[in-house]
Amino acid sequence: MKTEEEFDLCYEDELGYCNVKLVALGGDGANTIGKLLFKIAVDKLDLDGAFDAQYGSEKKGTPTDVSIRLCKLGRPVRTSGTLSTPHILAIMREQLIEPMRLNVGLQPKATVIVNTTENPAAIRDRLQLADGKIICLDATRIAAEARSRINIPVFGLLIQVLGFPDQAAREMLSATWPKVSEANLKAYEGITSAQFQDFPYDGKYKHLPYSKPQGGVIGYLTQRPGGVLINALNSSYGKTHGASRTGQMPLFNPDACIHCVKCYYACSDPGSIVFANGKMMGIDYDYCKGCNRCVMVCPDTKNGKALTKVLEADYAEVVLANEAASYKNIRKAS
Amino acid sequence: MSEKAYSVIDRAIEQKVCIGGGNLAAAEAIAAIGYELEGFYPITPSSDVGEEISARVARGEVDMVFVPATSELAAISICAGGAMAGARVVDATSAQGLLLKMEELPAISGLRIPMVLNLATRTVSAPLNIKNDHSDLMSILGMGWLILLAKSVQEVYDMNIVALKWAEQVQLPCVVAYDGFHTSHGARRFQIFADNRIVRDFIGPKPPRDLYIDFDHPKTFGAYMNDDLINNKYQLHLAMQDAYRLLPVIFQEYAKISGRRYSMVGTVGMEDHPPVAMLILNSAAHASEDAVDRIKASGRSVGLVSMSLLRPFPADELADALSGVRTLMVADRADEYGAYRSYLANEIGALLQARHNPARILNRVYGLGGLNFSFHDAVELYDQALSADQGEAVADFDYYGHWEGDPEQQILTPPKAPAPIVEKTDISLNEKLGARMNVSVMKTIASEMPNRIDKTSACPGCGAFLNLEMVLKGIDGQVALVYNTGCAEITSSGFPFTSFKVPYAHNLFHNGSSTASGIVAYYEWLKKHGRVDRDMTLLVVGGDGSGDIGMDQLIGAAIRNHPFIYLEYDNNIYANTGAQLCYTGFKGMMTATSRVGKAQVGKTFHSKDMVEILRGTHAPYIATVCESHYEDAVMKAREAQETVRNGGFAFLKAFSTCPLNWGTKGEDGPIVARTMVETCMFPLLKIVHGITTLTYNPEALGKKRPVTDMVPLMGVASAHLLKPEYADVVADLQQEVDRRWTRLKAMHESPVL
Ligand SMILES: Cc1ncc(C[n+]2csc(CCOP(=O)(O)OP(=O)(O)O)c2C)c(N)n1
Ligand code: SF4
Ligand SMILES: [Mg+2]
Repeated sequence: MKTEEEFDLCYEDELGYCNVKLVALGGDGANTIGKLLFKIAVDKLDLDGAFDAQYGSEKKGTPTDVSIRLCKLGRPVRTSGTLSTPHILAIMREQLIEPMRLNVGLQPKATVIVNTTENPAAIRDRLQLADGKIICLDATRIAAEARSRINIPVFGLLIQVLGFPDQAAREMLSATWPKVSEANLKAYEGITSAQFQDFPYDGKYKHLPYSKPQGGVIGYLTQRPGGVLINALNSSYGKTHGASRTGQMPLFNPDACIHCVKCYYACSDPGSIVFANGKMMGIDYDYCKGCNRCVMVCPDTKNGKALTKVLEADYAEVVLANEAASYKNIRKAS
Repeated sequence: MSEKAYSVIDRAIEQKVCIGGGNLAAAEAIAAIGYELEGFYPITPSSDVGEEISARVARGEVDMVFVPATSELAAISICAGGAMAGARVVDATSAQGLLLKMEELPAISGLRIPMVLNLATRTVSAPLNIKNDHSDLMSILGMGWLILLAKSVQEVYDMNIVALKWAEQVQLPCVVAYDGFHTSHGARRFQIFADNRIVRDFIGPKPPRDLYIDFDHPKTFGAYMNDDLINNKYQLHLAMQDAYRLLPVIFQEYAKISGRRYSMVGTVGMEDHPPVAMLILNSAAHASEDAVDRIKASGRSVGLVSMSLLRPFPADELADALSGVRTLMVADRADEYGAYRSYLANEIGALLQARHNPARILNRVYGLGGLNFSFHDAVELYDQALSADQGEAVADFDYYGHWEGDPEQQILTPPKAPAPIVEKTDISLNEKLGARMNVSVMKTIASEMPNRIDKTSACPGCGAFLNLEMVLKGIDGQVALVYNTGCAEITSSGFPFTSFKVPYAHNLFHNGSSTASGIVAYYEWLKKHGRVDRDMTLLVVGGDGSGDIGMDQLIGAAIRNHPFIYLEYDNNIYANTGAQLCYTGFKGMMTATSRVGKAQVGKTFHSKDMVEILRGTHAPYIATVCESHYEDAVMKAREAQETVRNGGFAFLKAFSTCPLNWGTKGEDGPIVARTMVETCMFPLLKIVHGITTLTYNPEALGKKRPVTDMVPLMGVASAHLLKPEYADVVADLQQEVDRRWTRLKAMHESPVL
């Protein structure tokens, strides 16, 4: 199926590309919907361009991005790699906004899609967007209700923003996942709840043009020969695994705990289950990635299970307080 | 030209659009060509070439032999064997994979075996980096292989087709090199022939050569040679010259069928005879074309030269292309450390001198370890060349894209609080806790045995660190760690962070056991000389895949009885590189290189029994552990440590869940693990000085379960086996599990077995 007329892309940069970037966690399916968009562009709209994902050795739950450059057929496509100056940016995890400084490199009058429960004005401030359009969508909820995945509503919005044919998108979804076609289409349609807002340039935030990263404090003058790391100085201890949790997490109820220690030996992120003086003290949410293996092995006692699977959103303050972490010092002291 | 050739041209227009990366393009070409054998070993970023072919073989779309090997050296040797026997063979690899094949490369060219090796270029270790540069490619320049280069996805397809025809005609092997990730993974629109027959007609029948399988005229291959060797090499030199003459002809023929015309040297903007030009290869050359346009638009004139051919070196074409140039920027994506300049610049320098071309050569080493090279970077390199051309002081040789760092500030991000260091470890904690394992001991060690490892970036629900923690809970005193490459390694030391609080080293994928041998042997020597007195328990951690490729080194360490513990976490798969077949996987298992289709039902052979393989080393302690029986595991870890303290080698194998690659839920791990033990697919046992003990006997407890209980649990790896049409595969699996189990029971009964 070829369109009769040439398809007009809504943005174009100096090389003739419309730049679309997706920012997500590994496992969110950004890669897949990026490929679908590219396929629609090539197969159905006779466009050309490039699809590049960020590849590393990162596992599920670590930040990743996908770059799609679209252009008219005939423009030689010679670029590769992650794009740094998006016109359209889809943020599938709002917690990535700040750490990844996602406003840097955004083109003027960009369109930003965010999976969030917040409204466009709040997101604008978090993102420090100079100007452009913000589209907010609770993709997590839509996906959960439709029994689909968060990438599908985001895909829907991207189709809409790019002006790609709705029918082609639906067909693509059904052809790609025939078994869950209904659920996906429901999630795809869920985008009607999206909130749109335009922000003309008002000087509140500046455009931050992309500049090549200048390199960190560890350079050739400071890297130890052989790339050796000093364990105590370069410890991963300062990191937190919160971003790897995808909505659900274990919650500890000390009253039901019989200190059977099963959870400790079932935990895939040692450090999450805190034992001190032979007692289970709780979960260190800086370590926990929310796999809920511990919930699986936690025995049912007369007070129920000490570990249960809950929605993280409902217990944000428990995560924030992260009390169990302090018991690690008890252990050290004793 | 014959009738047939014309008809081929007529059909040439039948091409169809494909979307995908260079690896797919290579696979499309392999399928179209009709190769007969592919030897394979996974390594990022080339693995998809084999994965795609194995999938098509399983679906019955491609009829060829696909052999997942135990190492890259094995893979290309399988290719060499197949080719000696007469097959058309192909292989793909990157980085360390190429280096491991290295020994076989001159063997193949010296034996004059034509074949094609796809190389998705990648940085060679160390430091480990999976991204692109040309340090692998540049290390094989003198191996007697033809080398074609592909800048784009389309070129990967085209060069693969050209390569085989060319290789067969001059009876030399050929590498097709394209940039890892940039070209191997970036999806693009490209064209392929609609009908494979066009490709097969183009390549033509196999030219005659001496074949191993020829019982009427038996031949000897690989004779030992003294003085005559120089003539073998002179022939190789002549074959390279033939190849040089032949390639333009093949390019021309290919243009007729494809409409795409290639030349050995590609130029952009050189027709204006610019005084300044740049020579750069592959994806970066492609990106630089945009820079030439932009610089031209600003009124200055620069040119770009790139190569489709690296071996034989296209001297005449390069000399022509560069004839009017005054200042030439040569950009190398690899450094020939300590040489006068880097690889390309040295070759170009020698060429220009021979042709009396006085152009000044600037040489920049760029893009190492996958640093992106965009047209902005090309503009910067052109700016440097333009400045030099204007007489400004510009260094002849330099790196591009490196940075100094800040000597005032050593720590990248200070942790929230000082990182906890390992508390003083008590080397007699286990002794104090007593010889029996119970809940109370398990609780005490959960509280008191120090954590030697901090946060890692393994997937939620991954079994690797769970197993390591479980084993480390049985080990007191001073611990040191050595890792093989794999998920556990990748997720625990991404520069500049480390998850380790104890001494840690990663060397290569497969040599942790040898590395550890060196460490412990030296430590023993230091002890003997009274220079150290502290106890050390060294633990090597390797995935099951590293036990394929590193099997020989592991066996060697076990036979030498070097005092360390080797812990294999077995997830039945090459997880880190994307779920390819591991020899540990069970028969019928679906992996990225053992698919399920009408021609194949997953893995075609039974699991490698590493315990039984190691039994033959007579190592003093060999045991299996599983999270479902963590008390048993901690006990075995203690015993392993005892063995090491008594100067012996200990092997532990742990069943390890991999939710990402099996497609299971993280929380289901404990169930999968227990089921593996209770189906006897992962029996718990120990072999102490040859005496086998089943440490858990589900059968005796009436808990032994059929393998069909495991089938629904391991996600996409096993779910297909639920289908009735695969009942025979399951039955075969059950039979093998039972056969091994029966033998184990007998050994358990009798200490002399
Ligand atoms: C010589 C060589 N070949 C291939 C690779 C690529 N490679 C790195 S890790 C890996 C698979 C590791 O599998 P396994 O040992 O089972 O560990 P897992 O990732 O499953 O934890 C492969 C194939 C390499 N690094 N070096
Ligand atoms: S891919 Fe598998 S083995 Fe690797 S970190 Fe993830 S769960 Fe663990
Ligand atoms: Mg493995």
